[in-house]
Amino acid sequence: MAAQYDLTSKMIPFLDLHLVFPLLEFLEINELFYTPTTLLEARYELSLKTSMIDFIDKLHGELKDAGVTPAPIELVERRKEILDKLQNSQAEAQKVMDVIENPEVINALRQDKLQNLQFLKDNYGMTAEMIQTLYKFGQFQYSCGNYGGAADMLYHYRVLSTDDTLGLSALWGKLASEILVGNWEVAFEAVQELKEIIDKTHFASPLHQLEQRTWFLHWSLFVFFNHPKGRDAVVDLFLQPAYINTIQTSCPWILRYLTAAVVTNKRRKNLLKELVKVIEHETYQYRDPITEFVEALYVNFDFDLAKQKLAECEEVLENDFFLVAIQEDFIQNARCFISETYCRIHQKIDVAELSQTLNMTKEEGEKWIVNLIRDTKVDAKIDYKENTVLMNNNTQSVYQQIIERTKGLSFRSQVLATSIEKREAAQLKAAQHEKNHPSTAVPETATKA
Amino acid sequence: MSRFFRAGESDSDESDSDYSDELTHSESEDHSDSDSDDSSSDDDDAAKKTGGRGRLFEGSFSDSDSEDDTVRVVRSAKDKRFEEIEQAVTSMINGQKINDWVSVQNEFDRANKGLQKAAGIIAQTGVPKFYIRAVADLEKSIQAALEKEKSSSKKMNASNAKALNSMKQKVKKNNRLYEKEIQEYEKDPENYVEEEVVEEKPKAKKAKKVVVSEDEDGSDVEAADDGFTPVGAGGKSIELNQENIYKKLKEVAEARGKKNTNREDQVRILERLLVVANSPYQKIRVLLGLTSAQFDFAIGASGYMSIPLWKNADKHLNSLLTILEANPDYIIKEDVPEEEETDKDRVPQNGEPVYIQGSLVAFIDRLDDEFTKSLQNIDPHTTDYVDRLKDEVDLYSVIVRSQAYFTRLHLTDSISRTTMRRLEHLYFKPDVVIVAVENATAALLPASVATPNQDSSALIHDLCVFLYKNATSLLRTRAMLCHIYHHALHNRFFVARDMLLMSHLQETIHQADVTTQILHNRAMVQLGLCAFREGMIKEAQTCLQDISGTGRVKELLAQGLSPQRYGAATPEQEKLERQRQLPFHMHINLELLECVYLTCSMLLEIPNMAQAGSNPDNRKKRVISKPFRRMLDYNSRQVFSGPPENTRDHIMGAAKALSNGEWQKSVELINAIKIWELMPEAMKIKEMLGHKIQEEGLRTYLFANASHYSSVGLDQLAKMFDLPLASVISIVSKMVWNEELSASIDQVNNVVVLHHVEPSKVQSLALAFAEKAAGFVEGNEKLLELKTPQQAERPKKGANANKEQATGKQQQQRTMGPRGGRGGRNQFNNGLGNSVRGGRK
Repeated sequence: MAAQYDLTSKMIPFLDLHLVFPLLEFLEINELFYTPTTLLEARYELSLKTSMIDFIDKLHGELKDAGVTPAPIELVERRKEILDKLQNSQAEAQKVMDVIENPEVINALRQDKLQNLQFLKDNYGMTAEMIQTLYKFGQFQYSCGNYGGAADMLYHYRVLSTDDTLGLSALWGKLASEILVGNWEVAFEAVQELKEIIDKTHFASPLHQLEQRTWFLHWSLFVFFNHPKGRDAVVDLFLQPAYINTIQTSCPWILRYLTAAVVTNKRRKNLLKELVKVIEHETYQYRDPITEFVEALYVNFDFDLAKQKLAECEEVLENDFFLVAIQEDFIQNARCFISETYCRIHQKIDVAELSQTLNMTKEEGEKWIVNLIRDTKVDAKIDYKENTVLMNNNTQSVYQQIIERTKGLSFRSQVLATSIEKREAAQLKAAQHEKNHPSTAVPETATKA
Repeated sequence: MSRFFRAGESDSDESDSDYSDELTHSESEDHSDSDSDDSSSDDDDAAKKTGGRGRLFEGSFSDSDSEDDTVRVVRSAKDKRFEEIEQAVTSMINGQKINDWVSVQNEFDRANKGLQKAAGIIAQTGVPKFYIRAVADLEKSIQAALEKEKSSSKKMNASNAKALNSMKQKVKKNNRLYEKEIQEYEKDPENYVEEEVVEEKPKAKKAKKVVVSEDEDGSDVEAADDGFTPVGAGGKSIELNQENIYKKLKEVAEARGKKNTNREDQVRILERLLVVANSPYQKIRVLLGLTSAQFDFAIGASGYMSIPLWKNADKHLNSLLTILEANPDYIIKEDVPEEEETDKDRVPQNGEPVYIQGSLVAFIDRLDDEFTKSLQNIDPHTTDYVDRLKDEVDLYSVIVRSQAYFTRLHLTDSISRTTMRRLEHLYFKPDVVIVAVENATAALLPASVATPNQDSSALIHDLCVFLYKNATSLLRTRAMLCHIYHHALHNRFFVARDMLLMSHLQETIHQADVTTQILHNRAMVQLGLCAFREGMIKEAQTCLQDISGTGRVKELLAQGLSPQRYGAATPEQEKLERQRQLPFHMHINLELLECVYLTCSMLLEIPNMAQAGSNPDNRKKRVISKPFRRMLDYNSRQVFSGPPENTRDHIMGAAKALSNGEWQKSVELINAIKIWELMPEAMKIKEMLGHKIQEEGLRTYLFANASHYSSVGLDQLAKMFDLPLASVISIVSKMVWNEELSASIDQVNNVVVLHHVEPSKVQSLALAFAEKAAGFVEGNEKLLELKTPQQAERPKKGANANKEQATGKQQQQRTMGPRGGRGGRNQFNNGLGNSVRGGRK
């Protein structure tokens, strides 16, 4: 059943070759949805397109062990070829690196890229083509699976290069490298930078920009669900109009991650309404237990259904590469949402029933409610004898309402009064100024006359 | 005039030359040749009447046509006409004698009128001599009179003088037409008229000359030597002559648009030419001329091309396309320099295609327009209309065919135009009809051109996508709207909605032309109906609001003229509006539309009104549908209301029942509306409506009666409204969550506890006071902001900032582009209301 909620196949078209490996490995390790051999084969196929010779070799061996004989390949030749190429480009790149790493040069470099280029050209005979070699070398290293080196090269390239389009590619490459290395801090920065560039750059066609954004959404998932601040960032970023549009247009499945991020993010509850709207709009296009849970809870107020969906969510989350880490969190928060909503609507709640709704035993439920009352300051009490929770309804009295409404009035009036005073003072000053210096005004009139 | 000559000459005259040609001949050759061409088969009305008879009599009588002949027993139309003219001329001469220029003027006009009437006859016989004599004399006597006037001291009276002056102008102008005749007359004023009889012999000789010259042209004169030779034979007689064809074609082309051109003649000539033409090039040329000549036909009182004529044009277009398909080396293009008149038959050489000037697209457009016009003018409730509608298949096949032709030639502009035409014939039709039309078309056309398309949605999709990619922005917009309409018709609400919002059409539609706006309105309405069928009441209501809420539905949808309230429209405006009307078969049922709109309004407005309660302020605040409220008010003001008769009555009754909590009665009344049967799956819709009424009934009941209860049992509510308990809980929960109802659910006892506290008089007054005070302060702030001079700098900044923001926004919008621009989607319910109000400009 859960297989239908597997997004891997939908997401792969929007990911880089190398970024797909972790996803497939995750599926393989957890023995999900597909047979291990098919996954192995898929990985092997993919790896053939890269230059990671050892990796290919390893997979080749594994495949043989699994009883499948893949088409033979000329590994030896390719290895030689790749090594040659690697050496060549390394040699070329080294020339540039030697210059750049020279402390004198480092000191001489400034903010202005053009000036830097001129400087390097004048003093060290470095041309744009030479700088280009950095990019090529980085790309090649990435292709070989040497992500750290690639990230380095691309960083240097970006510092020196003035080519915007290649710069953008370099940034993408850098992001991918950092993701694969697992260097989340740097990757997070790269994500922010990339976002700015995508938003700022004026693409030739809107379609192109949409494509870039779609890629960006997918890649950033790696970072956001691994970086400590990531979940805030996800919510902030994905709910921006441009990105929510992208989600709606080209990849509605990203809604799952957005929903999960919103649900697990306690501080941004106010965004829930917005999210509910989006989910409601997209139900005809995309639905999975996670969005359905939100829908059941906030659109239909069907607690039974919400409960059921919550149980399904657990499974889906467990099988999702990105969300597996926040599964626990999600379930906790989801329960919290249910009980809060429940409390707001109900006056008297049977503890047993509520615990059932939350997929908990009675004792657990009671404890849960006590915690909830303590944490969220819900005005409620447990009637132990009847085993119910009594909510105190807190309708605002008319008296309170009037106070609320009139609270700011006196302050605002004061502000008004002071600004009027200021204005009069200013006018007075201006008048005096004119009086004191009539000479400036008179000649003018005289000449006119 | 002897019969000998008649037989030899008159009938043999090239019977298909157009009469301007003849006129010049007869004029230059001989003036007395009044009946030389008389039996030529010119098919002028008058000639038709007289032709047969005249010919008969000519055979048996002597010169039956000479106007001096009074011994005739039967007078031909010609004689009658000439007599009239003669009378006028006589009295004109009399007028001259007594210097009464007013009467001269009148008679002159009369004579000219008579001459015009007899134009057909004159074409054959030449201008009557006596007329020439009269006008020539007239000019002289006018000159004389003027000189006399100058010299004499005694003035004429004013009107007389005026008449004289205007006569001078007129005659001058008039006589210019007959210069040659007058010259001839002046040569020999004495014998001019009498000459007629005497001149026969020389005339005959000259006529021979004509024949010879015609012979040089190649016409086979001898072929027809008796007066009864059928037209076809005469036509065929010049069959082999290629040059003649071009000459005639040119003549026809030149005569086109001239005042006195007889269009019927032209068509006839061209039709005969068509029989004659044998090479593809000739055929194409003739067909091009023929089709445009047919479209030139004067449009009679009916305001549209007559149906046989239309069919003829259709036929010719079809044969033209057949020729073009068979001969791919001939290409009709709009931008080819006109060939020289003495053009020979052109044949494609070395694979170089022959280009011919002409515009097929224009023909297609015209044909389609004429079809629409005829449908607009035929009474839709007659069988005529249905018969006419059957012709659509022919039209459609021509369109498809030409589309295929253009596609072969890669004429993008023409393809898009025909594709658009095709789309506009299809988009409003249900699947079955589209498939039927497609099959019928495929049967009519050669297989290479059209293959039947079984999947109507795919067909529409293909057509639209082509237009999105290739057409101009106007056609793109129209294609988009058609596509939306089509999706909505097939209950694909979300797809249609997304297309509408992604295209950002609603923002720009106000600048579009009126017909596009009408199309937009149609799409909106169809979208609303679609939402209704899908049970999305709120969406349906917002879609329909702007069209149905205005009370100008007819006008906005171009489905009939709405009565002019202020008589503001000028006749031209009205005429324009009439031209915009859609043919009946495209109409959206207005009664159904109103019914849907009112039902939606009822379902939304009744709970809304109950929620607002008795407080009149609240009541006014949130009005969802004004027309509905107005009707409801009107209905409830009535002292006595009988059983519901029409749709509106039913809905009003249902609305009242709903607000009283009698949902069953409400459902009954709604289900009694007959027009639901027009909807597909009427039963399902009724069921859906019943369900909605139950739910809204519950909400209304809670709103209305909350203050009277301290708690209500959920079971009881479920029983009252016949709803499952779960959905009652869901509805109540929603109301509580949205703070519409201050209540909460007691889960243990299964009741809704209502906390509603009605504020006391003092309290509500205090609330109102607080609100007013806040408003007051706010007003002051605004005032100060306006009046502060130092703001002068600030607004500047503000404006800049705004500008920046705006440009930023724009950029964003732009970059989001046609696809990314789904920003509107989230504000769907606000945005969708932006439909067009300015149906008429």
